[in-house]
Amino acid sequence: MCDISKEKVFEAISTVIDPEVGFNLVEMGLIYDAIVDEACNVHVIMTLSTQGCPLHQMIKQWVYEAVEKLDGVGTIEVEVVWEPAWNISMADDNVKKALGGM
Amino acid sequence: MFSISKDFAPPLKLIAPFFRLGVIFYLLSMLALLFFEPTFSYQQMDVAGWIHLFLLGFVMMIIFGAMAQLIPVVLEVGHVVVDVYYIILPLLGVGTIVMIFGFWMMPSLLPYGGLLVLVAMIIFAFENIATLKKSTLNNLTVSTVKWSNAYLLLGILTGFSIALGFAGSLNVNISLMLKAHVYAVLGGYVLLTIMGLSLTLIPMFSLAHGFDEKAIQIAFKLVVAGVGTVFAGALLGFEWFMLLGYLITFGGVAFYLWQIYIIAKLTVRKELDVWAKSMIFAFGTLIFSMMTGVVFLLSNSEVMLHTTVWFFLLGFVSSMITGHLYKIVPFLVWFERFAPLVGKEKVPMLHEMYSKEGAAMMFNFTALGVISGGFGLLFESNIMFKAGGSFLFAGAIFLYITMKKMLAYGSEN
Repeated sequence: MCDISKEKVFEAISTVIDPEVGFNLVEMGLIYDAIVDEACNVHVIMTLSTQGCPLHQMIKQWVYEAVEKLDGVGTIEVEVVWEPAWNISMADDNVKKALGGM
Repeated sequence: MFSISKDFAPPLKLIAPFFRLGVIFYLLSMLALLFFEPTFSYQQMDVAGWIHLFLLGFVMMIIFGAMAQLIPVVLEVGHVVVDVYYIILPLLGVGTIVMIFGFWMMPSLLPYGGLLVLVAMIIFAFENIATLKKSTLNNLTVSTVKWSNAYLLLGILTGFSIALGFAGSLNVNISLMLKAHVYAVLGGYVLLTIMGLSLTLIPMFSLAHGFDEKAIQIAFKLVVAGVGTVFAGALLGFEWFMLLGYLITFGGVAFYLWQIYIIAKLTVRKELDVWAKSMIFAFGTLIFSMMTGVVFLLSNSEVMLHTTVWFFLLGFVSSMITGHLYKIVPFLVWFERFAPLVGKEKVPMLHEMYSKEGAAMMFNFTALGVISGGFGLLFESNIMFKAGGSFLFAGAIFLYITMKKMLAYGSEN
């Protein structure tokens, strides 16, 4: 029985900071979902704030490494999707406020 | 485990010298401005020397360094031969210096400097074209890169012909060739490149999403057609054809500004950092230079032409470049020195990697200098022009210092 929950995956990913804006990927609203199966294999579905992001592969790798630190995790897949496209309404209120969007 | 984007990214040691040298050339060109009077003619050799110091030494040097980094980002493939940038740097740097001496002291040097610059740019253009061929993408920015490189080659070939003409080795109509050269380089390469890159970079840094790109597509087609029309008109000696080309280009710039307005309305980040201020100033001066450009077309006044070129180059082009340096350089340094430490130790944010006060001084002095110098040209006021030159030089010193610190950030680790 796997004891890794979706919340635990999100908590692990929240250690990954976007160096340009200074917020973590979870509060930015960039992590869409984390699917954990019975064997503790984790499939993270995420997006980026821009398609041309030069940190694209690195951010995927940081997410991978953050999830890898969870005890008992199986295989990890990090998938970047562009639909739905990210927008500021997906971010937490503190991010919106700090960026001037509120 | 997947590969990381370092596969595509050129090392900092390859790109940093372009930025370092570009900023030194900027500092020198602002220093040289102090020795000019506002009543010059653009056909004077010393003015041509200054233009080349600024355009080749600063604008082209920085654009080449930025393109080394951004081409893989835009095209989503690695460079075919990224190491050619190690050759381009000395060729462009030495070629520029030889050309400046040619313009200022010894015209017989011009073909030699011109040849070095020609070789640097041919290598750059062909490497870009080879990398473009690898990419499967076919979007607006890719088209922009293709057209801008084609115009760069035309601009360099006409420029080299002029250099041979000056040295007495080739019989060409220098006046007509000069117009074709200036327009191919400024409109065809610099403007198109800035339009293409800004469409990627401005939404990225301002977090603007989901905007319609129709305006920029029209803008791009009009500028390509306008530059081609002016170029052909200049080579054939058809003044009316050139006038038509100017009007088409102006239409293209108007659509470009409309696109920027659409993006600005969707901007999420409201923070007025040095980048945002520089963008506002750049587009403000672009609008002003278009207005003076229209007056020039109607009046054919050389003063209006000088004012237009001043606000376009020192206002729009310069601010676009310097503003983006405060985003691109911290990123490059961070990527090289701090990205490997993510998750292992505390790493700095990009905005922490430069002095806000230094950047603010750079922006304030530069903006004051552009406005004062521009109005000095417009009213042929020596004191305003000299004040403008002094402010620009002070701004350039702050740019140099902040850039030096950014490039050195974390190097002791």
